[in-house]
Order: sequence, then C-alpha cells, then structure tokens
Amino acid sequence: MKYQLQHLTEYLYQHPVANSYNLACLTPRDLSYQEVKTTALHIYPTGAEVSQYQDYFGNIRHFIHLQAPHQQLSVVSHASLEVLPRRNNERLQSGCSATQLQSYLQHSKTAAAVYAKMLCQPSSMAPISAEAGALLAPLRRQNQTVLELAEQLNQYIYANFIYTPGFTTVVTPLSDVIKYRRGVCQDFALLAISCLRANGIPARYVSGYLETQPLPGQPRLQGADASHAWFSVFDPELGWVDFDPTNNLLPCQQHLTVAFGRDYADVVPLKGVVQGSGNHQLKVAVDVVQSA
Amino acid sequence: MSLENFTGGRYPLHANCFDELVAADGNARAPATAIARFIDKHGAAELCTRQLQLNQTISDMGVCFTLYAEGSNIDRAWPLDVIPRTIPSSEWQRTSAGLKQRLTALNLFIDDLYNGQRILKDGVVPAELVLDSKNYLAPCQGMSPRYGVWANICGTDLVRDEQGTFLVLEDNLRVPSGVSYMLENRTVMKRVFPELFADSTIVPVDDYPAQLWQMLASLSPRGEHVPPCIVVLTPGIYNSAYFEHSYLAQQMGVELAENHDLLVEDDKVWLKSLRGKRQVDVIYRRIDDIFIDPLAFRADSVLGIPGLIAVWRKGNVAIANAPGSGVADDKVIYAFVPKIIEYYLSERPLIQNVETFLCQDPLERSYVLANLDKLVVKPANESGGYGILIGPRSTQAERTQMANAIKDNPRNFIAQPTLNLSTAPTLCDGTLEPRHLDLRPFILQGAELYCSTGGLSRVALTKGSLVVNSSQGGGSKDTWIINDEG
Repeated sequence: MKYQLQHLTEYLYQHPVANSYNLACLTPRDLSYQEVKTTALHIYPTGAEVSQYQDYFGNIRHFIHLQAPHQQLSVVSHASLEVLPRRNNERLQSGCSATQLQSYLQHSKTAAAVYAKMLCQPSSMAPISAEAGALLAPLRRQNQTVLELAEQLNQYIYANFIYTPGFTTVVTPLSDVIKYRRGVCQDFALLAISCLRANGIPARYVSGYLETQPLPGQPRLQGADASHAWFSVFDPELGWVDFDPTNNLLPCQQHLTVAFGRDYADVVPLKGVVQGSGNHQLKVAVDVVQSA
Repeated sequence: MSLENFTGGRYPLHANCFDELVAADGNARAPATAIARFIDKHGAAELCTRQLQLNQTISDMGVCFTLYAEGSNIDRAWPLDVIPRTIPSSEWQRTSAGLKQRLTALNLFIDDLYNGQRILKDGVVPAELVLDSKNYLAPCQGMSPRYGVWANICGTDLVRDEQGTFLVLEDNLRVPSGVSYMLENRTVMKRVFPELFADSTIVPVDDYPAQLWQMLASLSPRGEHVPPCIVVLTPGIYNSAYFEHSYLAQQMGVELAENHDLLVEDDKVWLKSLRGKRQVDVIYRRIDDIFIDPLAFRADSVLGIPGLIAVWRKGNVAIANAPGSGVADDKVIYAFVPKIIEYYLSERPLIQNVETFLCQDPLERSYVLANLDKLVVKPANESGGYGILIGPRSTQAERTQMANAIKDNPRNFIAQPTLNLSTAPTLCDGTLEPRHLDLRPFILQGAELYCSTGGLSRVALTKGSLVVNSSQGGGSKDTWIINDEG
C-alpha cells in the first residue's frame, strides 16, 4: 500500500518569540515492512538551522533552531512511503512460550537481548505497577505463546476500555486510565506496555499514523487523520510484533510507523522551548492519503 | 622521629576504631609527631585560641556552606577543626594509585554502556540494573567524549576499617563537591599554624586548580592550538555549592556562568559578554544531568541551556562530566566495581569496597530485612546523606518504615555493615576527643590522570555519630600528607 503523508504542527504566539529550539520526531523510518521513498521537513518562517541525526532507537530526529523573532512556527513533515504486508496473524502460534522467553533473556549474549531487557524496565511514562500487571493473569492459558498472550491483552483492552478523546491528556497517569477505563490510543499502548513489563515481557511504544476510511458516501476530509500509537512485543525468533489495542488488530498495511521508544516521552513528535511571553495556540493536522 | 605520648595519655581512644593520629599505645603516630609536640608544648588553652583565630579567618574569608532545611536555605560559616588529619605520603602513593585505577575502570565501563554494551552482553553486570537506573540516559547512546572519558572529575569517599585499611564507601561521578574546602582549609591552616608549616614536610595541595584547568583544556574540541574558552556552569546562588563554583572559576581564571549567560547558535555554544559572543569550548557543569537541556531531558528545567545536547552530539563543545556519566554513580553499581575493574583492566582492585548487600537479590534482601538493626541501609540514588538508616542508632518505627520501603522497591536499596569508622582527635569544648571521619579525594581524568594530595576530611562533630556529610551538619579537618620518603 502506497501513501502520501503530511503532518502539520503549527504554533501561533500572542507576542513575538525568539530563539525557538525544537526537537522533532516526525520522519518515518525505513523498516523491513515499510519502504520510505522520500521525506521532507518544511519549516516556516524560513531561515531555521536544522540538523538531522539518528537516536538510540534508530529513529530519525531533527533539531530545529529558529533565531529571529516570529509569531508563528509551522513544521510540516512530508513523506511518501509503501507499507508491505506483515502476515503477523499467521505467526502468533509459532512464537516462544513465556518460560522460553525468560530463559532467552537470561542466557543470550546478543545486543537484541540487552535491548529487550531494557524494554522490560519501567520508564517515565510506563511505570511498572502491580495494578497494570494484574490484568494479565486471567488471560493466561496452557501452552500459550507470549505473542498469543499479548493478543489476548490486546483484545481485553479493546473490549474493556472505552476510547474517549479528551478524557485524558499526555500527562494523565496510568492509574487514572485503569480506574476510569477510558483513554485514547496513547493510554492504551502505555497500559499494555506497563502490564507486559510487570510480567517480565519486553514491550515498546510505537508512534505513527493510521489510514482512516471516510464513512460510505462521504468525502474524505483533509486533516481528519491523527497521530496514532500502539505497542510492540518481543519474540526471540520473530523479533518485534505490533499490536493495536485501540482497534483490536495486528497492525498491517494501514499502519504507518514513525518511531519506536520506551514510551511516548522518547518519541514526542515535536517539542520545544521558546523565549517570549503570552499565550500560544497549537494546531495539528495529519493527512494520510493512498497513492497509486 | 620519636613517638610522643599524646596529650599526656588523657586522650580517650575508642576501642575497635583506628585513630588517625594516635596509636593503640597512646603515642602519636609518626606523621602526627609535630602536632603532638605542639600540643605538649602549648597545651589545650592555646589550641582553643588558635581555633578562635581559625574561625575568625574563615569568617573574614567568607568561606561558607548552605544547608537546605525545611524549605529554607541557611548559609553558615564552614566548620573546620583546629587539629589536622595526617597520612604518610608512602601510604597516600598506594591509595592514589588505587583511586586512579578505579576511575580508569569506571570510565571504560561508562563508555562501554553507551557504546557496545559488552559488559551487559557478557552478563558481568546485569543489564536490568543498569538500564533502569535513573542516571542511565538513553539519549547519550553512541556518544564518545574525548579520550573515551565520561567522568572527568570524581570524588571518591574513603573510610578506614578497624585495622586502618582504606575502603571505598562510594564514588561520586555526577557533580562532586568539596574540593574548594580542601583548598581553603589549607589556606586557613597556614595562617593559623605558620610554625608547623615551617617545620614539617607537609605536601602542598594547591596545584589542584591548575590541574583542573589543564584537564578541562585537554577536552577542548578546537584542539590545543586555540586558547580554550572554559566556563563553570552553576545553577546560581541558591545552590549549596555556589561558594565552590565561584571559587573554582576564580582560581582557574575562567568565567562563572549561569544558563542565561550561554546561548546555542549555529551548532555552537556562545558566552554572552559586553564585548560580544565568545565561542565556548568546555563547560565544567555543576548542574545535574537531567537539568542541563530542557529539550533533551527534563522539559521543566529552568537551569538548562536548550539545544546544548545537540551541540555536544556534534562534538562542538565538551561537557565535564559528560551527561550520562552518573550511571556509574549508583550505589547498586558500586557493588560491582571490583568486578568492573577486573573485567576491563584484568587487574585486582588496589582498594577494596565495603561489603555490600543488594536488596534486589532475594537472599540478600531477606538477610537485610532480618538485620536492619545492625546494618546501614542507603537508597541507591540519593546523595548528601539523605534517606539513610543507621541500624544500631535507629528506632523500631524507623526500621519498620525502611523495611516497607525496601519491600516496595528493592532495586533502590543497598545495605552495608555498620563500620567502625576511624577517628581523629577533635577539639570539643576545650578538650580533645575522638570523632569519626572519612576522606574525599578528587581524581581527574582527561588526557592524563591526576589525584589530589589527600582530599577533604569530613568529621562527624556529634559524639559517636557516623554521619559526616556536610549537608547533615558535619565538620572538616585539613588533611596533611606528610612526606615520609626522605
């Protein structure tokens, strides 16, 4: 599936600001199941210093410095990419068991194992809580693979948590999400990660986009799409396998991947510091369009 | 040199403690002979007079320290005891070799953690203990500071056991404080005891600022042919170590800067001045890692410089200590330092650790919980002596509280046997009494390795107390390395 992607972030400031420093994580990365053909980052006003680097997780980052006074900052990320089928549904049963996974983590001397062990540890936005960990116990079955268990968790979250935009913010703690059983994609991904890590299973956060289909008979609205998030679980043989608890499915050709991290804090799309006073307004618009 | 009976045999030596100045038979140890003679000749009354002179000198010089207590800051005069602590130079040679060995290994360890992670793959240090440390900073992965050295300035706390053997109590690799007091203690003592400095062979300590400058200069990204612009970056006047920040900047002849004095532009760091911008080469930062760049770490930091990490990543500025080096300054990692030394250097540690129990380990945890009344329990990531339980001095309520804290978060606690720290004669209400003390030497690593001559001796002023931290009301002594090698 081929896509044209556009993600606009725009800040409007009440008074002119200067020396705006920003860190972006907006450029989709190349993966075995995602071919990124072209990318571009457009910044308005022009004249910003931009430098690109790859972070520890292999994500593409941009450091943006805008020196001159300005009242508006727009960052637009463009990409054209092709997402290939992954056939993960067919592979769930061939993964390893929880016992085999623990043994691998304990004995393997590979970089993949060290990386997986890091993703078993609590992180700032996905702390390990007994509350989250306890969600997994009723989902365990005999002769179950780790990936089948993760799939159970994916279903459980979808069935028992209500997708409620606006109920949470980026700083809502997980305990509130569990208490009220509400949240958005970011909350559900972090909940699953916290739950899996509490059970010693390596899990990571994935940020990206979901292609949305308009209702039958209605035109597709520009900018109607949004950033999306899901989680990924490690299997020693199969590598990292993605799950989308918001939609109860295994990401395939409708999911466009931008970045991986321990949690949202590692992959914030755009964050920055400015010098100035007054209020600001933020506008975000995402377009994911299929192309020929 | 003959041994002299110390203060006429009236000095009440502690049983089971090594005394720095007085041997078990009541005679002065060899390096303390000159001090013993002085006391015999002039008596305790003269010591009291000199202590008053000393206090006045400290007050005149404005040597001070800030205590954080109950949400307020209290400036107080730096407490210095009139009796110095003495160490023979032959012993100090061996000790400083051990300290250099330790810092060399720790830097190889930090560099490995952020590049390759060989030691984690080999399972010598468990990956889970490192990668969940608050001080492990993923954004620093793949960085390689000059010489592969991350912790350029280290303050290692040493204590002596009952036999008088030096042991390492902890390594301070984040922003260790105290060296200015080592230097000022010496300046004050020279004024108060000119006759002792005229007669004895006390090795000078005052090359430290020059050594520090040289080490920092060796980190300059523009190389040795461009005069480096070095700044000391301070959080400001409300920091407890502000005295030291300004003192070191002044001693080295470099700028003292707060975050708003620095600016990131064109992939470089600039110092704003009346004569325009100057490119900064080396930042000796006295701000914790997570506060130095709100973009890279804590977004709510008002002490940092936005974009600093991006410049550092490009290699256009050196930061000492390098961000992320605190990962080895964790009391859980401390327990692995002997293994770390053997792993990277294939050498035996020259200075041993204090025996340490990790609450993370189920067996060791149950031992700790059963022996809370005998052990010292420390949180893994605190400094300044906050949150410590000293078992033999604790109440049942304190022990219960600590037991719960350990059960909640075992990774965050270690325990050690309660040590009989060494003592030294200290002037208390007109008489000399033994008080417990430790020693913090300062070790530098850049192009070369350097260890301070002695260090800062911190003394617990309360009778029987083992807590020497300045933040907890401890005092200090000048540390004399006495040349015994001819």
